[in-house]
Amino acid sequence: MRFSMLSQVFSQMFKKPFTNKFPAKYIPSSTTKFLEDVGAGRAKTIPPVETPPNFRGKIQYDKEKCIGCKLCIKVCPTEAIEYKEKEKKIKIYLARCCFCSQCNDVCPTNCLSMGNEFLLADTDKYSKDLIVE
Amino acid sequence: MTKQLTPEEIVKSFKDEFKTKIKDTRIEKHIAGTKKNELIHIWMNVDRSVFKNVVKHLMTLEEYPHLAVTSGYDMGKTIKLVYHFSIYFGVRYREISLNITVELPKPNPTIETITDLIPGALITEQEKQEMLGIKVKGIPKDKRVFISDDFPKGIYPWRRDEAGPEKMIRNLHEVKK
Amino acid sequence: MNPEATTKTTYRLPIGPIHPALKEPVAFEFEIDGERIVDVDVSLGHIHRSIEWAGMRRNPIQNLYLAERICGICSYCHPMAFALAVERAAGIEVPERADYLRVIQAELERICSHLLWAGVAAHEIGFDSVLFLTWQIREKALDLTEYLTGNRVTKAITMIGGVRRDITKDMHPMIHETMNYFKDNFEKLRHVYLDDKTFKMRSQGVGILTKEDALKLCACGPTTRASGIKKDVRLDQPYFAFGDLDFDYVTPDVLTGEVNGDVYDRIIVRLLEVKQSIELIEQCLDQMPKGDIVSEPKIAKLLATLKKAKGEGIGRMEAPRGEVFHYVKLDGNEYPYCWKVRAPTYSNILPWMPMLRGEQIADIPIVAASTDPCMSCTNRVAIVDTDKKYELNKEELHRLSVEKTRRLMK
Repeated sequence: MRFSMLSQVFSQMFKKPFTNKFPAKYIPSSTTKFLEDVGAGRAKTIPPVETPPNFRGKIQYDKEKCIGCKLCIKVCPTEAIEYKEKEKKIKIYLARCCFCSQCNDVCPTNCLSMGNEFLLADTDKYSKDLIVE
Repeated sequence: MTKQLTPEEIVKSFKDEFKTKIKDTRIEKHIAGTKKNELIHIWMNVDRSVFKNVVKHLMTLEEYPHLAVTSGYDMGKTIKLVYHFSIYFGVRYREISLNITVELPKPNPTIETITDLIPGALITEQEKQEMLGIKVKGIPKDKRVFISDDFPKGIYPWRRDEAGPEKMIRNLHEVKK
Repeated sequence: MNPEATTKTTYRLPIGPIHPALKEPVAFEFEIDGERIVDVDVSLGHIHRSIEWAGMRRNPIQNLYLAERICGICSYCHPMAFALAVERAAGIEVPERADYLRVIQAELERICSHLLWAGVAAHEIGFDSVLFLTWQIREKALDLTEYLTGNRVTKAITMIGGVRRDITKDMHPMIHETMNYFKDNFEKLRHVYLDDKTFKMRSQGVGILTKEDALKLCACGPTTRASGIKKDVRLDQPYFAFGDLDFDYVTPDVLTGEVNGDVYDRIIVRLLEVKQSIELIEQCLDQMPKGDIVSEPKIAKLLATLKKAKGEGIGRMEAPRGEVFHYVKLDGNEYPYCWKVRAPTYSNILPWMPMLRGEQIADIPIVAASTDPCMSCTNRVAIVDTDKKYELNKEELHRLSVEKTRRLMK
């Protein structure tokens, strides 16, 4: 059985490829120009595969419900949460967060939840998008 | 396959052979699942002068005991090593874990090697030598296995006294950009 | 590649730890006589991250997530073994439903890991289309993991005393659909890996580990089961709910009737384990009892209990690569006093020496990959002659392996 994969390879030629070509079918020659085009509506990106429900993405913080008990700071494995003394609220640095959602489980008032954003890359660790407060 | 003994008989056979050199034995039985099958862990404390004979006696119970790893920690004036063996594998529900603790005094932390009886113990003995500063007599290859060769000699990462690594720690979030 | 001096002495080849072509750092020294390997020396520790030292400064719940990042592929087994050790040290009982849920996640991880390994083994031999086929099947398993736990790799589903997420009735159809997909495609994989003449030529008789060597060197996992030894923590000392389920040891004589201990036997053992995992997941879904999923839902109370606990405990689990072992000593403080981790590759390194003696250089990738190391292996070979220096990097070594396949196929 020398060519046991041959039938498989043949049938694959007539099927749709499994890869989802995110964000574009071919690499653009200039990434920044491509992003400008998308922003202006001249080009379209192919969206990524849908995330299932209960996906652990960017954390969402409801400030009114927070009571300042500091339990989330005690269980965070990466020490990504800081306590603001005067307001008795917290500040989360996403550059250190490991998305384990342990703080969600511990919070007594359920003010933290996980969204489904995952495209969070940035060049500055302390930029506005990467701090949740 | 030699005859399988119950945990109480195993402890008794060690105590008969080595009398007072075996102390603090205990047998723990944990349960799991809905049918509540038992898992048996035996712990015992052994004097270092008879340690190699204890391992030889263990090999009469099971021809090739499985050594998982040895753990070690610093207790202030002594260093404790725990050897984790397990015997009677191969038949369902029958394996028994045997944990043998040996205490070494800090001024003279030496122990005999068991690589002539169980060759698979080589890496774990080398690791204890470099992490805790003990000396294993008769080890076939005396070299560092996990720490690089340019790490200073005399500093042992798992120790909690002045030979510990306190001077070598750098907190990354305090490093200025 | 042909050294000019044809002396009778052997060459020593150091394979350096840090190299752009290496996936994970490990240092080797081979002694080579012509094309045959005479002796092997392995040195580890190039990716030492002092995790046990860091664990002594964190409370047990933070340590769960530290343990998860010890390895990317067995990222479920390390926190689970740690949780077992802490539960036995502190005397915490786990509810029955949690035991069954833990089994389902463990077996799903085993399927993902063995399919990944199968693809890598095919790539080392030279069959790239089999790599893509296997990993396409693996994508379904990863989609199911994402649906059940929230992430593809770092599952974060362990909690001391149970699990964090339940599997409700409306999740069952997705699980059954994925299991049926695996069952339909299993025959395809089995036909390619086990009946194909090229796979047989490259893997039979290569990298033999005898039964006695495997027992003396304390190997574990599929590496030792392929040499005919019945050693499996799920059956020897059943943890979670494995004591209730119906399965048996997987050794190569189940399929072929004889045991050789070579690379072909390891392929057989891993493919049969995938089939066994599918059956175990279905048994668990049928038999799952009702109840709580964790013994103490309020985490502040759990932390207070662990702070007062004193004792020592061990946790052993059967990871896809072998036996994972954790030892924890608690002594009434917030942080554990001692934590020892032993990954399965720790025990499976020493068997490389008897396996590689007498083999050719082109066999190094497939033999080392057949033990499924959790750090990738020999890639860069530097031949130092008296005045010349030749270097073979990862692509060259891979090319050598592929060329041998083409030679054997003629």
